Amino acid sequence: MKFKILKAIDVAGLQMLDPVVRLFYGETPREQLRKIVLFIVIPVLTIILSVLLWSYLAPRHTTKAGEVPTPGVVLDAARGIQQFHTWENQKADDFLLTGEARQNALAAVDTRIAELTPLSVAAAASVEEAKATQQAYREKYATPLEAEYKQLRNDLKAKEDSQEEALIAEADTLGVNDVAARQAYLKKVAAFDAMEEANKETLRAFKDKIDAVYSEKFPVLEAAQTTYNTIEAELQYLSKRRDYLTADNQELKIASAQIELKELETGFLSATTGKETFKAAERMLKKQESIDRIATSEYSRPWTFPRQIWRSLACVFLGFFIATAIAIPLGIFCGLSRVFMAALTPFIALFKPVSPIVWLPIIFIIVGGFISDPDVSMFHPAFLSSAITVALCSLWPTLVNTALGVASVDKDHINVARVLRLGLVSRLFKIVLPSALPLIFAGLRISLGVGWMVLIAAELLSSSEGIGKFTWDMFNNGSSESFAQMFVVVFVVGIVGLVLDRIMIVFQRLVSFDGAPTAL
Amino acid sequence: MDSAKISRVHRTLTYLIHMKAKAFLANALVVLTSFTANASDLDLEKDELKVGFIKLTDCAPIVIAKEKGFFEDEGLQVEVIAQPNWKTLLDNVISGNLDGAHMLSGQPIAATIGFGTKAHIVTAYTLDLNGNGITVSNNIWAQMQENDPALDTPQPKHPISADALKPIVEEKLDEGEKLQMGMVFPVSTHNYELRYWLAASGIHPGMYTETDTGGRTDADVELSVTPPPMMPQVLEAGNIQGYCVGEPWNQQAVFKDIGVPVTTNYDIWKNNPEKVFGVTKEWSDENPNTHVAVIKALIRAGKWLDEKDASGNFVNREEAVRILSQPNYVGADYDVIKNSMTGTFTFQKSDQRKMPEFNVFFDNYCTYPWYSDGVWFLTQMRRWGQITESKPASWYFEVVEEVYQPDIYLQAATLLLEDGLIEESDVPWNTNGYKPATTEFIDGIAYDGRDPIGYLNSHTIGNKDPEGLAKK
Repeated sequence: MKFKILKAIDVAGLQMLDPVVRLFYGETPREQLRKIVLFIVIPVLTIILSVLLWSYLAPRHTTKAGEVPTPGVVLDAARGIQQFHTWENQKADDFLLTGEARQNALAAVDTRIAELTPLSVAAAASVEEAKATQQAYREKYATPLEAEYKQLRNDLKAKEDSQEEALIAEADTLGVNDVAARQAYLKKVAAFDAMEEANKETLRAFKDKIDAVYSEKFPVLEAAQTTYNTIEAELQYLSKRRDYLTADNQELKIASAQIELKELETGFLSATTGKETFKAAERMLKKQESIDRIATSEYSRPWTFPRQIWRSLACVFLGFFIATAIAIPLGIFCGLSRVFMAALTPFIALFKPVSPIVWLPIIFIIVGGFISDPDVSMFHPAFLSSAITVALCSLWPTLVNTALGVASVDKDHINVARVLRLGLVSRLFKIVLPSALPLIFAGLRISLGVGWMVLIAAELLSSSEGIGKFTWDMFNNGSSESFAQMFVVVFVVGIVGLVLDRIMIVFQRLVSFDGAPTAL
Repeated sequence: MDSAKISRVHRTLTYLIHMKAKAFLANALVVLTSFTANASDLDLEKDELKVGFIKLTDCAPIVIAKEKGFFEDEGLQVEVIAQPNWKTLLDNVISGNLDGAHMLSGQPIAATIGFGTKAHIVTAYTLDLNGNGITVSNNIWAQMQENDPALDTPQPKHPISADALKPIVEEKLDEGEKLQMGMVFPVSTHNYELRYWLAASGIHPGMYTETDTGGRTDADVELSVTPPPMMPQVLEAGNIQGYCVGEPWNQQAVFKDIGVPVTTNYDIWKNNPEKVFGVTKEWSDENPNTHVAVIKALIRAGKWLDEKDASGNFVNREEAVRILSQPNYVGADYDVIKNSMTGTFTFQKSDQRKMPEFNVFFDNYCTYPWYSDGVWFLTQMRRWGQITESKPASWYFEVVEEVYQPDIYLQAATLLLEDGLIEESDVPWNTNGYKPATTEFIDGIAYDGRDPIGYLNSHTIGNKDPEGLAKK
């Protein structure tokens, strides 16, 4: 049992659990404890430490564009993203709710609205109150400063003007070629200029003082606004839900359309003239059509982050699949034939370093040429372009590793194949591929990692729904939450990347005979 | 504040009504019947649409038509999708990824005449008037105040021209540098407005030529393209010293202490056309009824947005702001969007003003696709050299008639009028498509859409054309 677990842990690439299991079975406790400290306690400690450091440093670094979010703020942003997702799902569900369930949901919504309405009124009042405080503060401190500033500016200006006049008057008295006097005069003018500059500085410094009053933060106001906005946002959501539970609900829409259909039917049956009958018939059929349409319609839900993550995963796997389908056969040929390798080397060297940002527009044009009507195509063009970009950027490690793996098959194995007079195909599948597999999988693992990294940029550029588009949209929002949302993206991308990598490690382990070192 | 109170009271009332309505749900069904009866009379060719938009507050009519169910009333299921920039948005409309989109007024025209990407794009609906501002960095603003002490008060007199900016530009030129300013797209209203504002004070913003597609030939101030959401960051980084952009990016600059909006396009040209709803000609021809249905929903959304109570306050704008601040729409903070959308604009923290017409979504017949609006954009393209050759006046009229589709608008309006959803006075039924001549520009030069050549020649800076073309 113990060894089975250890083996499973090893294959899954979760070596840090190894000492725990061994300790559990009482194997060399000292040694295992040392390992636990090394592999588990220390990493956990560094994580805790860095979170602490983060929460200490973040509020101390503010730019005009915004504040660096603390861990708490990031967590809130993550909750906000999740809430948006839940709300949209709820609306989609409401649209389809029928009968009793719809009535119950409606009752629940109404209760919640009744709860929130007085809260909203109170919150609005406290916002007004805080605003009044702010206004009072500004009037008390800024208004006198502004008056003082005006006075100061006028005084300085008057002084400058009189001095300037005096200087001009003095210039009139200067002898025409009196070098010494003119030199002295020049100095005076320079001093005057310096004074002007100094006055400007004084004024600016004064102005900064006024600006400081206006920029003074009011945490009470901010908190009140946040509360009010949260309540109002929920009320907005509830009123939309109400719509989907009443007027815009699918069942009710169909019901009301059916009543109309009945009316039209009566009209059709009782129509006397040919023209009327024809018209009524047409109208009836049209109504029937629109009922069918409503019956199959769905709430057109916006893309939310959790759905975008899945779509990104689909995109990266499609790209990865394309890359694998190209890279492994090419790699095998490269490994088998020196000529082929020589022919391909310049292309590998040339295209490997090209950035996804360059590939994407080119691929976009090519893909666009094949898909004339996006409505009927299986893949959305932007999705396909992103996947191909991922493929083009990520196929190189697999290609190179496959070539290397195939080329470095043990000579003895090849000789055995010769002796057995194996054909090309069986030599390939019985000898070459099995011994190259560990390296091929090592390549695939790197490819998937590269693909995942590239995907975000590709989606961002192509505006294909996915994590990349989410990132760009949230950045474009420029809201007070934008930065925190970027942090959420960082963690989500990191965690998904980690999981993908672990999965590839498992595969790699499963195909290696010798337990080649693959950890990390 | 007042309108906030009113909307709260309004909501409490509607809530109470709802509670009662619940008891009579069966009756409600009958009410519903009468409500949807007038809807899907149109034989829709397509009922699931994708509409693109850029994260700016003037996408409001599209978002509202979706969220308030106006699209659904027409039997349309519309997905509203944010686009990363104007170029991608246009490409997506042309390639068919999108059915239609929120576009810059210049985009359909430029695409149709082939400046940039060539494609025949049409529009039957103008989304809004005004809504842009010009923001300069704090440093430039301080220098402008030094140049013109009249600006150095907590609430300077408006409109502010670029006169106080001119000495700064000249000083820079003497040092061998050029002031850098940002705008959002070569054929955007922002580009033309910024150029207009600069040129009105004798600052040359540079010409486009056949070889210079960046528009910097002879420039005193160099303009460059920056995506709207990047503007505040780029300004703070010092790459540019000012920009012209739509909301909420001017208010963002004030709230983050990055810059000062000196003027709005309302002051540059009172009630100027801003964004339109654009589709390809091909799409419009294939889906004529769907197009009318979309325009119907948009007209209702526009009307909803501009609804006012007896004392002239907007009734629905706060709700609109609430919706727009959702992350899948404009997504900026509620309090930032609220400013301009509810009729106030913050120029400096000490200077918040009432500007009820900062964004107009329905009044002044603004949603009608006016030919004269199109001609103005064409004259600007010619003035700054984006159109490289002289064209006769008749060419201007032909182009706008290809792009602007008042017939579709009037069809939609007629249907809405039949349903009693708009008033007869909401729509200019008998117009030749040209607004009366106006002098409401910052420099007071008269513009008459029927005389593009004369208008071109009335400016000091920019291309001029032979008078003879006016009659051709």
